[in-house]
Amino acid sequence: MKQYIVKRCGYSLLSLFLLSLTIFFFVRVTGDPATLLAEPGASEADIAKIHHQFGLDRPLVVQYALFMFKLAQGDLGQSFYYQTPVFELYFSRLPNSLLLAVVAMTFSLLVGIPSGILAAVRVGTFWDSAGKLFALLGLSLPSFFVGLLMILFFTVYLGWLPSSGSGTPLHLVMPAFALGWYFAAAHMRLTRSSMLEVLGSEYIKLARLKGLPQALVIGKHALKNALIPVLTLAGINLVLMINVAVVVETVFAWPGVGRLLYEGVSFRDFPVVQGVVILGGCMIVGVNLLVDIVYALIDPRIRLEA
Amino acid sequence: MRSSDAGSELSPIASGPATATRRDFLAAAAAGTLSGLAGSARAADADGQMTIGVHISLAPAWFDPAETAGIITPFLVMYALHDALLKPMPGQNPAPCLAESWSATEDGMSYEFVLRKGTTFHNGDPVTAEDVKFSFERYRGAEHTTMKERVVSVEIPDPQRVRFNLMTRWPDFITFYSSATGAGWIVPKQYLEKVGDDGFKRAPVGAGPYKFVSFNPGVELILEAHRPYWRKAQAVKRLVLRVIPDESTRLAALKRNEIDIAMSIRGELAEEIQHSPGLTLKPAVGSAPYWLYFPEQWDPASPWHDDRVRRAAALAIDGPTINQALTLGFSRLTNSAFPENFEFYWQPPPPVFDPEEARRLLAAAGFPNGFDAGYYTCDAAYANLGEAVLNNLTAVGIHARLRPLERAAFFKGYADKKFKNIVQGASGAFGNLATRMETFVVKGGVYAYGNYPELDELFAQQASELDRGKREAILHKMQQIVHEKTIYAPIWQLAFISGVGPRVGQSGFGLIKGFVYPAPYEELTLTRA
Repeated sequence: MKQYIVKRCGYSLLSLFLLSLTIFFFVRVTGDPATLLAEPGASEADIAKIHHQFGLDRPLVVQYALFMFKLAQGDLGQSFYYQTPVFELYFSRLPNSLLLAVVAMTFSLLVGIPSGILAAVRVGTFWDSAGKLFALLGLSLPSFFVGLLMILFFTVYLGWLPSSGSGTPLHLVMPAFALGWYFAAAHMRLTRSSMLEVLGSEYIKLARLKGLPQALVIGKHALKNALIPVLTLAGINLVLMINVAVVVETVFAWPGVGRLLYEGVSFRDFPVVQGVVILGGCMIVGVNLLVDIVYALIDPRIRLEA
Repeated sequence: MRSSDAGSELSPIASGPATATRRDFLAAAAAGTLSGLAGSARAADADGQMTIGVHISLAPAWFDPAETAGIITPFLVMYALHDALLKPMPGQNPAPCLAESWSATEDGMSYEFVLRKGTTFHNGDPVTAEDVKFSFERYRGAEHTTMKERVVSVEIPDPQRVRFNLMTRWPDFITFYSSATGAGWIVPKQYLEKVGDDGFKRAPVGAGPYKFVSFNPGVELILEAHRPYWRKAQAVKRLVLRVIPDESTRLAALKRNEIDIAMSIRGELAEEIQHSPGLTLKPAVGSAPYWLYFPEQWDPASPWHDDRVRRAAALAIDGPTINQALTLGFSRLTNSAFPENFEFYWQPPPPVFDPEEARRLLAAAGFPNGFDAGYYTCDAAYANLGEAVLNNLTAVGIHARLRPLERAAFFKGYADKKFKNIVQGASGAFGNLATRMETFVVKGGVYAYGNYPELDELFAQQASELDRGKREAILHKMQQIVHEKTIYAPIWQLAFISGVGPRVGQSGFGLIKGFVYPAPYEELTLTRA
């Protein structure tokens, strides 16, 4: 088991190293941030000054070595644009993203799981078709479009909800829905297919033959097993919601990590983009590592095969 | 006000006839609660507060005048937090501010400023000559090398006076010191030495009309009136600059009175403001002319070498139609590549749209059937303008392919002189005619792909000419030559369009010529607070 964990940790570190390498060089392919920080018409001296200020006049390898050296010390550098440490920026936005992600996730589970169950139990009926339509729309409608429609309807026409920003529970409603719908659709589809699989299994047939009421068969025997893959997916989705709600956070001016990433990309703020991607990567790699370890603890075959 | 509207719309249901069901009441109650709760965040509810929805993320670098890049955007914040010895103000550029007067010696080698008495920083410290000297010496923003090379020393003859001694005669010193850079904006020496540069950005202290309250990067900046302010008492007690990146969301926030001003609303969304009762469009024409540039005009093998072809391109542009379609007619059509609000501007004849004459000129130049002009390169953010102009060019026989490039890549390619054929360029940098000529026209200019010796000669003459009248004459002549040779085919001076809500009395847009943001902030008023 110990060897398994060490091996998994090694893979995780390797993934993070490759991620740092990729994002560091990819972000630099996008162009020169100095040309965005200076006004059109800025002199070469101004541009050179900005390069020097941010260390962009050094060879790429040196820049990367310095970046990794600082990263090892827990320093993600200073934002070019905000001139504030990236850690500080990230953690000032993280609580907002967490809040939005938790609410959106709660919504997606509360809607996705029951509708998935209903669709599976009433397969081929109106409820199944309605659930599939809900999932189809959720997966295919872009979140910015959903967001703008909601703003138009609930803010401009009805005047019920604030258009943007944060501060009150009402500010959460539209972004949480716009973000959560996609995930609710994914959870609905997975719950439906998982439930259909479980409902066709022998032990469920036996439970029914024993004369157990339908609610007990579904709620106690089928759901428990059907929910395992859904909850595993939800865990990963939660991390994604925290880090990549770029469009929703931008449309609703929600001050989260996703918007920070958008700002970083817009201003070619290399340290911000690198920081957000690496910290997001750490979360995803961390969750996967945890899942691997838990699986190995539950199922000895996994660690033995590894 | 929308909250009360909502309430009044709902009241007939809530107090309605006996036939109303329980569900009706519940719906009405829920809606009422929602509107009430949502209303708490509205700009209108805050006493004396004006909330401005800004389109860009505010950067802490803008809190420190020493780091002013060569762009106009930091002045959005600087006009609130800080003050300068001289700065562009309504009806006067430069206008005396922290300096009550200034003078130059006969030989143009020294400039002396007399400080205004009784001005203070937000922390109560008086503004002193030491602060002026300190602010200049720590300045490291755009053109700081030019400033430092040309200013040999800063003296303080007495606590109320500051003298700048120049290395050589420099007629543009005041332009650079008062508007083209942030060198003339004053910061408190004692406070800065105490808190350091980073501390200053976290809690900036200035001598401007509004003092810093809080800043949440990428979210909002909150400012409060600094009283007494030497110029006038501020009508707005609290200013909130809230970042709302999405244009549609900014408009929705304005329509719902969550914000009082929505900056940068374009095209169809601006039209929506025109049709919304209570909302007003406020266009402000900035210092950013747009033009077509022909990098191959110095190549005898290129069609663009012939000035008739360049003139044909200029005549082909249907400015009025494009202006109406893209900026609702608010941009200023111009026949000059230089901003009309700049010092030493020469007024050219008005722009003409004459496709027939354009075709005739092309035929006379040997292109009766037009020609393939290659690429039309532009900043992708203004590709819509490019498309419209390109259609006009095609209509007279100048066929080109649109090549929109991402903004930074465009300006880098432009400055690196990598473009050919046609370039759609622009500049919003501060300065005067001489600074623009230096960058875009004369030999060695960052964006000059070639040069005309007579213009270089004239430029050198004006650079050492202290007589304002003579200098103006030289710069006028230069502009005339640029116009006659059609080095540029001007399009327009772009209007920056914003939306203003019903609570706003004076929005500040357009008060300072060429400045597209609301300023000076002490002029802003609310109709009902």
